Amino acid sequence: MSMPRPLEGIRVVDFTWVRAGPWAARWLGTLGAEVIKVEWPENLDTLRQNRFTIPEGVEPGPNSTGQFVDTNANKRGISLNVRSERGLELIKRLISVSDVVIENFSSRIMQRWGLGYDGLKQIKPDIVYVSMAGFGHTGRHHYYGTMGPAAQALSGLTFLSGLPGKPPAGWGWSYLDDTGGMYGAMCALTGLRNRNATGRGQHVDLSQMITGITLTGPAFLDKSVNGRGARREGYPPGNRTVWPGSPPTNNYRGPTVAPHNSYRTRGGGYNDWCVIACYSDQEWKSLAKVMGSPDWAGDSKFNTLKGRIDNQEELDQGIEQWTVTLEKYELTSVCQAAGVRAMPVQSSEDRLEHDPQLRERGMYSEMEHPMLGVWRFQNAPYKLSKSPAQMRRPAPMLGQHNMEVFVDLLGLTPDEVKEAYDEGILWPPEMPMFPYMREEVASL
Amino acid sequence: MSTGGNDGGHPGPDYSNPGPLDGLRVLELSDEKGQFCGKLMADLGADLIKIEPPGGQNTRYVGPFLDDKPHPERSLSFWHYNTSKRAITLNLETADGRRLFRQLASRADIVLETRPPGYLPALGLGYNDLSADNPRLIMCSLTPFGQTGPWRDYLTCDIAHMAGGGQMASSGYDPEDAENAPPIAPGGGNAWHIGGHYAYMGILAALYWRDMSGQGQYMDASIHEACALTTEGAIAIYLSTREVVRRHTGRHASPDNSVKIQLPTKDGGWVNTTRSGTALNPARLRRLAEWMDQYGLAQDLLDEKYNDLATVQADAQHTTDVLANFILNMPQEDVYRGGQERDFPWGAIRSMDEIIGDDHLEDRGFFVQVEHPELGRTFTYPGAAAIYNGSPWRISRRPPLIGEHNEEILCGELGVPREQLTMLAESGVI
Repeated sequence: MSMPRPLEGIRVVDFTWVRAGPWAARWLGTLGAEVIKVEWPENLDTLRQNRFTIPEGVEPGPNSTGQFVDTNANKRGISLNVRSERGLELIKRLISVSDVVIENFSSRIMQRWGLGYDGLKQIKPDIVYVSMAGFGHTGRHHYYGTMGPAAQALSGLTFLSGLPGKPPAGWGWSYLDDTGGMYGAMCALTGLRNRNATGRGQHVDLSQMITGITLTGPAFLDKSVNGRGARREGYPPGNRTVWPGSPPTNNYRGPTVAPHNSYRTRGGGYNDWCVIACYSDQEWKSLAKVMGSPDWAGDSKFNTLKGRIDNQEELDQGIEQWTVTLEKYELTSVCQAAGVRAMPVQSSEDRLEHDPQLRERGMYSEMEHPMLGVWRFQNAPYKLSKSPAQMRRPAPMLGQHNMEVFVDLLGLTPDEVKEAYDEGILWPPEMPMFPYMREEVASL
Repeated sequence: MSTGGNDGGHPGPDYSNPGPLDGLRVLELSDEKGQFCGKLMADLGADLIKIEPPGGQNTRYVGPFLDDKPHPERSLSFWHYNTSKRAITLNLETADGRRLFRQLASRADIVLETRPPGYLPALGLGYNDLSADNPRLIMCSLTPFGQTGPWRDYLTCDIAHMAGGGQMASSGYDPEDAENAPPIAPGGGNAWHIGGHYAYMGILAALYWRDMSGQGQYMDASIHEACALTTEGAIAIYLSTREVVRRHTGRHASPDNSVKIQLPTKDGGWVNTTRSGTALNPARLRRLAEWMDQYGLAQDLLDEKYNDLATVQADAQHTTDVLANFILNMPQEDVYRGGQERDFPWGAIRSMDEIIGDDHLEDRGFFVQVEHPELGRTFTYPGAAAIYNGSPWRISRRPPLIGEHNEEILCGELGVPREQLTMLAESGVI
């Protein structure tokens, strides 16, 4: 790997935890920044405790969760009690030689430590400071807390997803942790670009919840401009663009067309489904042909968009009679060969093991992790021809890089480091050390 | 604007400064796949020129429309995704159109395009062609599957990406809420958002590196890969346990049957009560119970036995049932705000009816008034997710009309004589 990294030379102090914040800093690391994650084991990152992602046969513990290991890849990690006087002094020294500070605490924590923007810029005048609180740092409800699902609910995203007459299906994961994470990285990159142009740093005050509202633009304008609310008959229309029998108002996904739905495929398994959408009369004709021109599809009532929408139940039933005869990848392939938009519903297993496109593009790459062994990591979804994003290291183990950071970077003497350990600044005195740390401390 | 206490007491964004991407020229050749990424750059101050085919981009024909009157200048979807941009029309399938485009690209910083792989190179407008005149150019192709691979030429749309990317496999219903329900594709056109966010990230990384090295580069971005990355824990769960997640109503998909957290309210709404039943301790339970008691709905939760953590944990199901009953007797907004004021990170399932006008959003200057002079009207647009205090985000102009800036850019900047515009229009170039 000899290609240059785009953020080579940038140092990031990463106070983030859980998912959105760590995901943001992860991308800065993947792009070549030196990201130093600051942790304190008494307030353990909840992803280090994710019980679903400790593989069988691996010794449980905060260094053993698959979800943490990928979410925090390409970072180094230190353990430091920032709530102690000496710890705070050390973190200020680190900030003084860094370019970006990023955190997703509640809105006033950093200020309490004297590390709000005013404090940070005294330490490093051109610092780019990205805060990622749920409601942001500005506004009367800045202290409200959010996890991904609550943020999705409040932003209007949850309401956009589901079947009419049922509770919202919402999003089956913390989409706004993913999006908040991307956004955090975007804010840091934008702040750095602005610093290149002007020489000035700044505080970027991101609200995770509001990132969601910016993804509901057409629904927002339908209300603010047309006065049409989303609490209406037939909305949201599931996987269709319009629910049978309801007025054909736009559903904010794209054009109003039919067919446009999910269909069962051969096998009958939990994820044996595909989607098919026809955006024109021609695409519908092509689909009818691919299906072997069954009699029902030849009925002239399906020739027009209006006819297909008026007879959507019959249309979808007819299509599904055909889709259940094919395996989902085979179905995708025959539809696409005929110019029909179709894709398999892919589970995590499908993406990792069966998706030929992701395999060909090298979406997942393997690195060795001390606890998990060889592990697959998710790569950036873009290829930069001259300075690509690169997977460099799995997530740090707790305090793994204390020596590198405190001795090599900040210039503490071995005696000073030993003293910091003894005083409980670098590790809680009553907590047993991991073997890798014990060895290092013993050698001081 | 009330700030409700800004961080560090600073006075809010400094509107005497331009946006953070000020001074950058972006050319956008894109349909639904790239217009969002373009908006991200334009609202942050980039000088973005949208290049549409004569007659306008197809995204002008996507509803909803102003007053439900379909017209390419009245698409609210187009409006949202094209703020702060200027626009010209150019037919790249004519020699004159290509010549003018090359001229523009020779002085651009970024080209963002979403044409099918191979289309622009076949016209002599690929990265190699354009960078020959402008080695500092950053060109991003944002396409469904990227420029290589067996699915490269597959046709997609939002729901196709939601299927292939794994969004649908994680989203849907518990069987008791909707029997035989399919996997549900979350709405709103998020394939383009996810692709756009990652593309923005890559473009900014390329810009930073250009600042350091002086070199532009080509970027091949894949919407499918971006979506496949965006299902949070599903991938890690599979890698760790070889288990595939199951879909649940309004909460995380998981290998098991987790506790229901999306609870119905008295007024027909719902509140997401993340981890309410399982993360309680005696102090937090008491806080909840005292609130419920104000409405006579605490049942036995004020009983002394709940001063004991073990009892609270052992009775989690009972507590959840009492809470669910309380919520069923309360309006959605009251439950949400009341919970938050008591340090429970709950969220009302809001629609635009509740979001527009929200006081916190108002404090953050989120509701932006955008004037459409040709209509003599001003409309409220959604604002920024992030406040850039030193270099503000802003909607600098309403979405452009078709070819609105043809004269300004083609004549004013490229030096096309004004009298040639008619000819270029008649011959289908603009």
